[in-house]
Amino acid sequence: MIDVRQCRKVYRADTTREPLVVLDGVDLHVSEGEVVAVLGPSGCGKTTLLRIVAGLASWEGGEVRVGGAPVTGPGRDRAMVFQDFALLPWATVSENIAFGLSLRGASAAERHDAVHRLVGMIGLRGFEDRYPSQLSGGMQQRVGLARALAVEPRVLLLDEPFGSLDSITRRGLQDDLLALHQETGKTVLLVTHSVDEAARLADRIVLLSPRPARVLDVIDTGLPRPRPAHLERDARFAALKDDLWERLKQPSAR
Amino acid sequence: MTERRRWPLWALRLGGGLALLALWDLGASLSHNLLLPRPGPTLVALAHLVFDPALWRALAISNQALALGFLGAALVGVPLGCVAGHWPRAGRWLDPYVNVLVVLPTPVLPPVIFMLMPPGLWARALVVALFALPIVVQYAETGVRRVDARLRDVARVFGATPLQAWRRVLLPAAAPDLLLGLRLGLSRALEGMVVVELLIMAVGVGQLLQDYQARFESPSMYAVILVLMAESALLARLGRTLEGRRQRLSVAA
Repeated sequence: MIDVRQCRKVYRADTTREPLVVLDGVDLHVSEGEVVAVLGPSGCGKTTLLRIVAGLASWEGGEVRVGGAPVTGPGRDRAMVFQDFALLPWATVSENIAFGLSLRGASAAERHDAVHRLVGMIGLRGFEDRYPSQLSGGMQQRVGLARALAVEPRVLLLDEPFGSLDSITRRGLQDDLLALHQETGKTVLLVTHSVDEAARLADRIVLLSPRPARVLDVIDTGLPRPRPAHLERDARFAALKDDLWERLKQPSAR
Repeated sequence: MTERRRWPLWALRLGGGLALLALWDLGASLSHNLLLPRPGPTLVALAHLVFDPALWRALAISNQALALGFLGAALVGVPLGCVAGHWPRAGRWLDPYVNVLVVLPTPVLPPVIFMLMPPGLWARALVVALFALPIVVQYAETGVRRVDARLRDVARVFGATPLQAWRRVLLPAAAPDLLLGLRLGLSRALEGMVVVELLIMAVGVGQLLQDYQARFESPSMYAVILVLMAESALLARLGRTLEGRRQRLSVAA
């Protein structure tokens, strides 16, 4: 579904400074219906990689394909969930969820149906006419998720979606995401700097090195789907997290 | 602790107004200047003035230039500021021109305009527009430039055409600054309206002021000034109301 081959990204801030190599030949493959987490330290270029797949950023070398077609810009097959929610503050929950649909010229009835269905799915019934500022962070990100799902993308791109939430809220949303994936079977590419989150959510984890980012390892989590109810007590989960930490501590990972 | 009783705002405002009147009265009675009327006669003149059709004719003439000029400044300034805010190169190109207009002592403008154009409504409107324009442009530019980069991303990811991005994301996000610029621009426009009538072309309210001044009818002249103050307060109030309605919708997330 997503194929990135030898992707290279260089920032040239201005002519006086050395060009900054952000991605140095990154490979990434995500199959249909798979959840892949890109894990790496802050500032390693994970988000840049995601923005490239989303069609928001350019790259210098290599190939980027989604669904077999080369990426030339944003497309209807992809939708993104942003780290700090990025909801339209002047629009209600309903209007935010229907944003992508209304840009496509969907009828009022279509938008209403989609909003009705998604509001139920994310548990925000009764909040349709609230504004983002009247919602908690967790609720706002649910709206962000619903906005992405509303356009029925084949691929969901999540940019550290739960990074700015407290740990209790984060756990709730992670469980929601797992349930949602179980239900819809969407392809998910997730960027995170949380070892726990990557292990909890992903089928495979792509470990990136600090800048310039290279792929250190691709790890199969081997955890069953649906996830066991008490993942914390699962020996495989603990072993996986240990393993990830070890690999991130390797000299080559610094 | 005992709870302190707070004076209501209207009472404080009334008190402030009365204090100003008292100061005015004191100053006028101490200076023995015949051209500085005391508040009493001024208020009497004001009462006569508001029933005088001449005042309303003058206000109508002046406000034509205000409306026309301000509309022009908004129609030119908002798009110009948007372009400058969105495309940094355009902004850098435009900056010096806008800055010249901002820094220029504004009374310089009318004589220059009236050398280039026949005196009349259009020339007055142009002066009004040039007074308001730099403020409108600068606030629009700032507003658009400050739009959260994430929101721009949202527009792109969900496939907004450039027109949709402006209508659905950029303009609503920039609206608070944009409206503030229009409100401040309106007060500058009012300034331009009076300056042009006092300096170059004695029509409307400016003519009224000069007539009363020439006839040493100071109370009436001061009454006209009070009318102008009332108009600017009214316009500011109107602008704030419109802005407030908008602001409530775009409460910061």
